[in-house]
Amino acid sequence: MSAARELQGRSAVVTGGTRGIGLAIARALAQAGARVVVTGRDTSAAPTAVEGVQFVQADQGADADWPRVMAAVGDLPGRFDILVLNAGVSPFSPIVATTLPAFRDVMRTNLKGAFLGLKHGVAAMRGHGQGGAIAMVSSIVGKIGVAGVPAYAASKGGVRLMAKAAALELGPEKIRVNSVHPGLIRTRMTEGYDEAAMGPRAPLGRFGDPEEITSGVQFLVSDRGRFVTGTELVVDGGWIVQ
Amino acid sequence: MTRKLEGRTAIVTGATKGIGWETALLFAREGCAVVATGRDAAAGEALVQAIGGEGGRVAFVAHDIRSEADWARVAEAADAFGPLDALVNNAGVFFVKPLAETTEADFDLACEINVEGTFLGVKIAFDAFARGGRSGSVVNVSSLMGQVGFPDAIAYCASKGAITALTKTAALEGAAMAPKVRVNSVHPGVIWTPMITGQFGDDPALAEAFAQDTPLRTIGRPEYVADAILFLASDDSSYVTGAELTVDGGRGAD
Repeated sequence: MSAARELQGRSAVVTGGTRGIGLAIARALAQAGARVVVTGRDTSAAPTAVEGVQFVQADQGADADWPRVMAAVGDLPGRFDILVLNAGVSPFSPIVATTLPAFRDVMRTNLKGAFLGLKHGVAAMRGHGQGGAIAMVSSIVGKIGVAGVPAYAASKGGVRLMAKAAALELGPEKIRVNSVHPGLIRTRMTEGYDEAAMGPRAPLGRFGDPEEITSGVQFLVSDRGRFVTGTELVVDGGWIVQ
Repeated sequence: MTRKLEGRTAIVTGATKGIGWETALLFAREGCAVVATGRDAAAGEALVQAIGGEGGRVAFVAHDIRSEADWARVAEAADAFGPLDALVNNAGVFFVKPLAETTEADFDLACEINVEGTFLGVKIAFDAFARGGRSGSVVNVSSLMGQVGFPDAIAYCASKGAITALTKTAALEGAAMAPKVRVNSVHPGVIWTPMITGQFGDDPALAEAFAQDTPLRTIGRPEYVADAILFLASDDSSYVTGAELTVDGGRGAD
């Protein structure tokens, strides 16, 4: 029987949760019974009307912002054992055109931010000793090459292997860590893309919806994924199969 | 919340024990009519009793997955429930033997059951999806040993690696069908089932040793894998095809 509220009694943090995939994940976790803190840099984009979801203004890449996030989730009822590190940026910028500050900015948010999330999130999970589940949103660009996005590719490849390193380190504490690899999903990140032209490059013939990432993330962080750690869930309509 | 496979029909091979048994039970609980197959008729009858006792819909078909004639009977049994929505190619054979001791007959056995059996299943399922006009899902049970090497399991690794690759080609062909069919593989690590205990013995000390050798420090259970198979068979994975889902407690991460 599908547990209608399989995340009842749990609390979660979803970074980059004001729109797109992150917001869809936050909604789904809340609908499954979790209390959710979403973070984002943009206060004006805060989701205000989603039941069970609370917004905290925070930059994933800022170490100083994380204690505020952890305090907010610590104040929620329920055991904090779900962390979804989703925040990220993906500027198109070929190698020679990419300045060092621009490169650093992508790495700061996507890779260092994911590290900071692990660091602070794991410390909180250790506080209760009941383990937890962390989903790190990488990309198919963390697995295959794509021209024109060197910084994004480096950051997402880094996230993919950091998840495995974390899984090995944290497994004995029952903290599971997996990476999720979306293909082209209908979000603000892809709104300039021509789906009619590019969709068919995915064997399933279209872009994905944020909800199609959500169901995978929920599988990983729920008890249904209890023996899944250190692995990669690719949700790309078959893009990287060939 | 509606059940994940409400009103659907699925075939689960190798359902008389282990991962297949748990998958058949879970699918039935999720509202699916299950054609459960295997070679052990007595165990098949026990499964029918177990699922029937919970009010689920199930039929057992004695099935050697190497036999096309048997597959035709399995497809008929599915047709009796309704258009096919999912196939779980789970049946397989596992044995440990170093390269030098592996005979041609050993190698053929692993390939005939694990690879040819899976191949025939995909064929039958694609035909059934096309006949029924269904956007079906095939889940092939490969193994962690279909992703990484393992000493003394040359034939098994070869056969499971073949399933991993076969799955990707099938995903591409399935995506070209109308409606589109998804095909994915699941990669269990050490799961404490008769497949493992049959080789190594049902020894709790050994299970504990495997657990300590796994990052999550726990032995795998078949229901853990059944949950992953359900994810791939259901609409939860509607944008997932040609993918590998590893369920190994982190064994393969290093």
